[in-house]
Amino acid sequence: MNRLLTVAEMTLRELLRRRGVLALMLLLPLTFYLIRRDAYVGQSVRSLMLGISWAVSTAALFATGAARELEPRLRLAGYRPHHLYLGRMLGLWAAGLAIALPFFLIVVFDAPGLRHGGVAAAMLCCVAIAPPLGILIGALLPRELEGTLLLLVIVTVQMLIDPAGTGAKLTPFWSSREIGTWAVDHTDDGYLTRGVAHGLVVTVGMIIAVAAVSSIRLRRRRHLRHLPVG
Amino acid sequence: MNADDWLRAFAAELHHRRVRPDDARHVVAEAATHLRDGGGDPTVVFGPPGRYAAAIAESVGAAPPPAPSAPGPVRLHARGITKRYGRRTVLRDAGLTVRAGQIAAVVGANGCGKSTFLRICAGLVSPDAGEVTVGSRLGYCPQQGGTADFLLPDEHFVLVGAGLGLARGPARRAGRAAARQLGWDTPGDVLTRHLSGGTRQKLNLTMSTLTEPDVLLLDEPYQGFDRGTYVDFWDQLGRLRDAGRAIVVVTHLLDRLDRVDLVLDLTPAGGTDRNGDAGWGGRA
Repeated sequence: MNRLLTVAEMTLRELLRRRGVLALMLLLPLTFYLIRRDAYVGQSVRSLMLGISWAVSTAALFATGAARELEPRLRLAGYRPHHLYLGRMLGLWAAGLAIALPFFLIVVFDAPGLRHGGVAAAMLCCVAIAPPLGILIGALLPRELEGTLLLLVIVTVQMLIDPAGTGAKLTPFWSSREIGTWAVDHTDDGYLTRGVAHGLVVTVGMIIAVAAVSSIRLRRRRHLRHLPVG
Repeated sequence: MNADDWLRAFAAELHHRRVRPDDARHVVAEAATHLRDGGGDPTVVFGPPGRYAAAIAESVGAAPPPAPSAPGPVRLHARGITKRYGRRTVLRDAGLTVRAGQIAAVVGANGCGKSTFLRICAGLVSPDAGEVTVGSRLGYCPQQGGTADFLLPDEHFVLVGAGLGLARGPARRAGRAAARQLGWDTPGDVLTRHLSGGTRQKLNLTMSTLTEPDVLLLDEPYQGFDRGTYVDFWDQLGRLRDAGRAIVVVTHLLDRLDRVDLVLDLTPAGGTDRNGDAGWGGRA
């Protein structure tokens, strides 16, 4: 447990010291929120979800890239793969919550007529899914440019796809869109149920995928045998 | 720099250059007398401490390295290591056996697979053939990277220490003590990204020794070291060897091969090595 928390703490420390990155992580969702604010607040809130998802996923992607050289050393120092990826995820979940909280308060004060519990649930889905998504992309694509472009593709598809279509359910942040619709348009509870179920399935699926990729990448190689010290 | 500071720096430089303690004391006393009687800025009179110490070391010679103690049990045994990248064979049937209390140098031309061999020994890369048997605990220091830009040196020690189950205080103290062996007093509040290249390598090296490994694998860890630190580095390796560690160091600087017990030359057949003999994946 100590190893897990130490990795989480160091991930947070690294992120908090990158003040420029933090400012941009806050600016991105704010821009998404304000850009459509003069028209329909519901659309602004749904865009805000996407902005939070994008910001946190990108932070996770770059945190994974920055740790790429360090992690094999930490494996040799006694860490198991799950200490490293779960610890990093914990730190990024905490950072995601810290980023989402002020935006939730903005929505509460700026748009009083919404189901704010739903807004909070949608934001939680974004914060839950974004770190494992960013870590997964970072683990699969070691070069940051490729990873960033793939993330851009995912967010663009998420933004433009018809949310009622079947394909939309394959996008990672469909849950926040669905719950967001329940929260801003006061639709029936089916939206909430579908959204929560989708969010849970995608979060668990992403964590399993990260676990699989990290365990392969940081595996103990078969050619290496440890002998007891004689 | 006043006379006292200059003399202190001069004494430290003589120590770094392994001038015998008696000779060093004598030379420092002479310089102090000269400065006291003649006055003047010591940097003008003698020049920079490092340069003057180098000249003294050149003239009086350095102390011989301590006699190696008898090597202990085998700590690293690599055999039949073959590695290909695409159609290019980087290593062919390379092998190395290192015992406790030995230092092995892996040498060879650029691109001959020195770093790959070390990474295979560390278990970071899989070979196409061959196997490696190592002691229970490995330490690895890469040529570059391996640190986190936005963490403090102390936080690196805490991070590595936690892997071993060390509490924060002991991990920090152990890291600082190991850093001092390299003549580095770790700053409390400087981020790693603000450290010079050489200092960052000291951090890298300190992290690899912090785990008290049975086998220490070092991939040209002295990049960016000044001369004094380079001497400290080899002194530190000597101490680790005396403490029973098995050490493998990749190097292309051949000036310290008198301080190692084994040399593995990976220069491929047809290439030229320092002895003129050749052997792809040659054995130690």
